[in-house]
Amino acid sequence: MANMKFYCDAERCIECNACVTACKNENEVPWGVNRRRVVTIKDGEPGERSLSVACMHCTDAPCAAVCPVDCFYTTDDGLVLHDKDICIGCGYCFYACPFGAPQFPESGAFASRGKMDKCTFCAGGPEETGSANEYRKYGANRLAEGKLPLCAEMCATKALLAGDADVVSDIYRKRVMYRGSSVLDWGVNYDKASIRKSQGMKGKASSRS
Amino acid sequence: MRHLSPCRLIRIAAVAVLLAGFFFVSTVSAEQAASPTTSPIMVPNPATDLWRAVRQREAPAAGVTQVQGVQSGVLIAKSGEDFRNYRKDDFIGIAGWVLAGAAGLILLFYFVRGEIPIPDGRSGKVIRRFPDFDRVLHWFTAILFIFLAVTGLTLLFGRYFMLPVIGAEAFSVIASASKEGHNLFGPLFIFSVLGMFFRWARRNLPHAYDFKWLAKGGGIIGNAHVSAGFFNAGEKIWFWSVMLLGVAIIASGLVLLFPVYGQGREIMQLALVIHGIVAILFIAGSFGHIYIGTLGTQGSIESMKTGFVDENWAKGHHDLWYEQAKAEQKANAAAGDQHSASSSRDDALSPATERT
Repeated sequence: MANMKFYCDAERCIECNACVTACKNENEVPWGVNRRRVVTIKDGEPGERSLSVACMHCTDAPCAAVCPVDCFYTTDDGLVLHDKDICIGCGYCFYACPFGAPQFPESGAFASRGKMDKCTFCAGGPEETGSANEYRKYGANRLAEGKLPLCAEMCATKALLAGDADVVSDIYRKRVMYRGSSVLDWGVNYDKASIRKSQGMKGKASSRS
Repeated sequence: MRHLSPCRLIRIAAVAVLLAGFFFVSTVSAEQAASPTTSPIMVPNPATDLWRAVRQREAPAAGVTQVQGVQSGVLIAKSGEDFRNYRKDDFIGIAGWVLAGAAGLILLFYFVRGEIPIPDGRSGKVIRRFPDFDRVLHWFTAILFIFLAVTGLTLLFGRYFMLPVIGAEAFSVIASASKEGHNLFGPLFIFSVLGMFFRWARRNLPHAYDFKWLAKGGGIIGNAHVSAGFFNAGEKIWFWSVMLLGVAIIASGLVLLFPVYGQGREIMQLALVIHGIVAILFIAGSFGHIYIGTLGTQGSIESMKTGFVDENWAKGHHDLWYEQAKAEQKANAAAGDQHSASSSRDDALSPATERT
């Protein structure tokens, strides 16, 4: 079975936030919840990078580990989803997640909170596939239609990759090959081997792949 | 073959040496290129510093984001994993054993020592110990505490003990009810703690005879006679524990109850950790308190059930208070001649003040 993962290529992300908007629109995400966000590190300085982050669908998910009602489950595709009917809205998953993926909706009086909401990889939830209930609770189920999450589909530069881990890592490997930098060499080859540098080009991403 | 003059030989040798030297140098430099630790880095990739920072081996990298939310700019919060490991490895298992151990030790003590009887048996005469307000406050606190403890323990252990038995949907209903009930009635504990503080704090201040009481172990082993005031040293320890643990649990509970004021995840994790540890200590302590007040000491439960205690109970366990209360009764009887000798229902004077 496929092992679905996200990968955001920091060398390509231009923080256009198309992924954020696409997710919010397609899934009609409740007010106050930000399933996907783009974080820019070292803003304005050399080495500025942007990353789009939502749920990373961890193999050993901390959210599933701390849930008092065990409402998380891992699908055959390796996705970590949760059942809103069982969720009691305590928030422990939010505290345990390194990415802050499951979130409290902020509608509701007096911090009543309600059920946690999180990125579903556009794979819906435990409700019947394609039903109105499923859309209302979890958002679109694109995976059942054979499509990939809308954030990755909408990405302007194909920085955000989503799909089977083998395929995604293969794409990224090719990109690294063309860019010429390797993590093993740290800074040594960055100057010399890059095609862009040898042609006197400046800027972040290679025009290839 | 051409003539090999010495000049020619020298020239050939020089070329050979030079070629050898080139080969040697090139192999050495190839080795150096293959092991980057030895060659100097001319142009550091700024992204490597960035990724080191993101990995949070030192301080976390600060990020900016267009999304509005608390901590939205934080890419990875390492504390989440620490919290998860703490909860699964260091807390849930140990908490269970602490509670089971406390209960087990107390049961063991009961089977060994048994109930401590009233010294010299019941006299049949009673003396007023707690007015109605104190008793109402105590039982309000007790019922509230048991409710909060049960709901809290459901949220802590239910996944492992209840869920496999009754299934996920049914347990979700119970857990949701537990969470809502715990959140709704938890703040009432503030009134309990405050009420008990203002009612009993002065009587729980330590005195010299309390240390003697402690040195003799409160007389719980053997039949040594120990002196005590209205509250003995054991009760005073429990009182101040309740005060301190109560403040900690209320403060952390209020933080947990309102996650929407921009605290961030680290504060919520800390609040959960404190709330959990304090709750376990509280429950274990309450096992002891409940034991002593019911099974452990004959004649104790009446003080809270009716407000009166047998005079021999008072003489045996709280002699200093008993003498003072008796002296006040005599003074009142002599002054007003309105009160009967032992069982006056309305003298709020004797239990309310302690001058010893």
